[in-house]
Amino acid sequence: MRRRGPAAALALLLAASLAGGCAGTKAGEGQAAGRDGRSVVIAMGPTSEPEAGFDPAYGWGAGEHVHEPLIQSTLTVTNADLTIGYDLAMDCAVSEDGLTWTVKIRDDAVFTDGEPLTASDVAFTYNTVKAESSVNDFTMLDHAEAADDVTVLFHMTRPFSVWPYTMAVTGILPEHAYDSATYGSDPIGSGRYMLKQWDRGQQVILEANPDYYGETPEMEQVTILFMEEDAAFLAVQAGEVDVAYTSAVYSDQEIRGYSLAAYESVDNRGFNLPAVKASADGEGRKVGNDLTADVRVRRAINTGVDRQEMIDHVLNGYGSPAYSVCDGLPWYSGASEVPYDPQEAARLLDEAGWTIGGDGVREKDGQKAQLTLLYATGDSVRQALAADFAEQMGELGIACQLEGVGWDTAYDRAQSDPLLWGWGSHTPMELYNLYHTIDGNTVDGREQARYSPYANETVDSYMDQALVSSDLEASYELWQKAQWDGTTGVTQEGDIPWVWLVNVDHLYWVRDGLQVAQQKIHPHGHGWSLVNNVDQWSWTQASEP
Amino acid sequence: MRRRDKNRRKSTVVFLAAALALLAAVTVAGICLEDAAAATDFSRTNLAPSARFLFGTDWMGRDMFVRTLAGLSLSIRIGILTAAVSAAVALVLGTAAALLGPRADAVISWCIDLVMGIPHILLVMLISLACGKGFAGVVAGVSLSHWPSLARVIRGEVLQLKSAPYILAARKLGVSRLGTARRHMLPHLFPQFLTGLILLFPHAILHEASVTFLGFGLSSEQPAVGVILSESMQYLTTGRWWLALFPGLFLVAVVVLFALLGERARYLLDPASAHE
Repeated sequence: MRRRGPAAALALLLAASLAGGCAGTKAGEGQAAGRDGRSVVIAMGPTSEPEAGFDPAYGWGAGEHVHEPLIQSTLTVTNADLTIGYDLAMDCAVSEDGLTWTVKIRDDAVFTDGEPLTASDVAFTYNTVKAESSVNDFTMLDHAEAADDVTVLFHMTRPFSVWPYTMAVTGILPEHAYDSATYGSDPIGSGRYMLKQWDRGQQVILEANPDYYGETPEMEQVTILFMEEDAAFLAVQAGEVDVAYTSAVYSDQEIRGYSLAAYESVDNRGFNLPAVKASADGEGRKVGNDLTADVRVRRAINTGVDRQEMIDHVLNGYGSPAYSVCDGLPWYSGASEVPYDPQEAARLLDEAGWTIGGDGVREKDGQKAQLTLLYATGDSVRQALAADFAEQMGELGIACQLEGVGWDTAYDRAQSDPLLWGWGSHTPMELYNLYHTIDGNTVDGREQARYSPYANETVDSYMDQALVSSDLEASYELWQKAQWDGTTGVTQEGDIPWVWLVNVDHLYWVRDGLQVAQQKIHPHGHGWSLVNNVDQWSWTQASEP
Repeated sequence: MRRRDKNRRKSTVVFLAAALALLAAVTVAGICLEDAAAATDFSRTNLAPSARFLFGTDWMGRDMFVRTLAGLSLSIRIGILTAAVSAAVALVLGTAAALLGPRADAVISWCIDLVMGIPHILLVMLISLACGKGFAGVVAGVSLSHWPSLARVIRGEVLQLKSAPYILAARKLGVSRLGTARRHMLPHLFPQFLTGLILLFPHAILHEASVTFLGFGLSSEQPAVGVILSESMQYLTTGRWWLALFPGLFLVAVVVLFALLGERARYLLDPASAHE
């Protein structure tokens, strides 16, 4: 009978385990990369490779993980403090009713095929992404039109004050040379870099655009290799790459010639706490959770979790406590912060009627305080965070069980059980996506938020106001009020429908002598964000061999 | 010759008893330790094997020795379940193919060829995925893919038996088809069947581990050997060899034990060698 397959796999595994035991952390002697001082080799994870290529209409730059598209220009950019700056745009204004955006663009931008970039390219781009994009929401845009060569008008279907954040990640396509079938693998843009070579599944080579209208990029060539985390670690040991992504698992290792760089992020992890009682929705899905439906229980969980302990245990210290989905961003409300206070947590649980039973688990009316914590199976960091959280909840008297789930079922399951999510994006829309109710998404006749049942009319109305605001900077305050306005919100004193745990630092091995330019707070996704400003990176003289 | 005659049967019985006791002990210990295997303790992460933690600990501070035991126990239980289901399917289909006439035989033989024609691991993955992975998926996948070889053996055996004089006589005496199958054929088939059943275990266990290792089987919070091995891959490059080595070795040991068990059982049950 058939024994070969698994047996061979097993043998391989054992062999690998032995080899792994011997491979100590030796210094990377090779200095293959960066020799001329104008190029850099970067290792990213295989999931960072854009499946559909470098086409903004199919998620490049503006997909689940937002970053600057590099090859294409954008109208706006996000500054280091996540406010809005300009790239192609010279001026940007919105009408009083919020339904028309007028953007003036610079006239000296040129596509790498020599054609000038005009307002009609911009209009074409936005109309194309609205029609094509499956990964981004462009329903707020009705259509774009070019008023003249340097003026673009965006006609909106509804006021959308955070539109500049969408403009910051949408790369501009050339109207004259766009074919959706080939553009992804053969992009023409006006950005800092050109795509020189793309070997699918292996590497991408970017070369500086000599005709770029902005400052000439410091790095002439950027090579990005796609490899698994352990392969990236070995590549660093062998000295084959200049920068490689890594995780807390490897952070206690030392490699000569490299140092570990930790970049702050809003790549947060947190549990949703279903805020309604258990029932079934129209499609028969289980919605709501009897334990977390009580706001006092949710508050107890939020204040009863020691975030720093979690960071020390699971992230090896490389992280920061998270109190909201947008820590440190301009629209973050400081009221979200909550001290670690287990006594207060116990008091809240007692007050809610959940008293300690004989086995240390709290009970109420014969019901045990139990939670099933879901996490994305295969993600060891999330699993460990969930395990640590379960341990801490156990001390509070809430018995937790872990369950790994795939993303195919996770969204439905999260309607009734806490799921460990990862969010963090450079736009306030994320608050809207998590906390605002969705039309038609009703439980017991009440509309609920999309990912976890929750509804608060006041919170909704602040976000609605923020979106119709004609002044973006002023709208930040409304986003903050949506989190906490002094009487209600989504913080500890408010409804706390999500408990945020940690922001995961993005870790990289960086070769000594490479100056990585200052990073913006990284969003969710451990990938292209790093190279947002690769054009400003440089090698110091000392590292030259 | 004489010495061997005396010892073969006895030593085989002793071996069988010892192996069974060992496997039973592992199974029971694993069941009792299931909670301990999932217990995390972040104050003792990534420890190398020592007197306190025989197999070391992993990145969540779980005791690898306890996890390995629980994993093997789970594997054995899944093995027993799937091997039993497989063997039952094989017995029914094999007998039916041989007894229900040429048309049924053609259909069943075609099924056997079909299932045998698809690589096991692929079939297990597909079925497991279709059944929603997890425990149910693995059990369905493994048990629905492992019956054909045994079914074929049983079919051949029954075909041969059908023309045996004592069966023909029974039929002539008016015993029904089912009656002959039950009273006259099954006892004859039993040794073959039992050996086949036991030899299914190693495959079932290995395939369970493989499919879980590949991410199509048990969920990652369960203490399965496949989960342990696939997790350990991440940590090999940082030199944490103990995470893969011990669980891997013990998985192999259990599989070998089952294979030997099957072989020895055949010595005892097979009339040709039973009295050696």
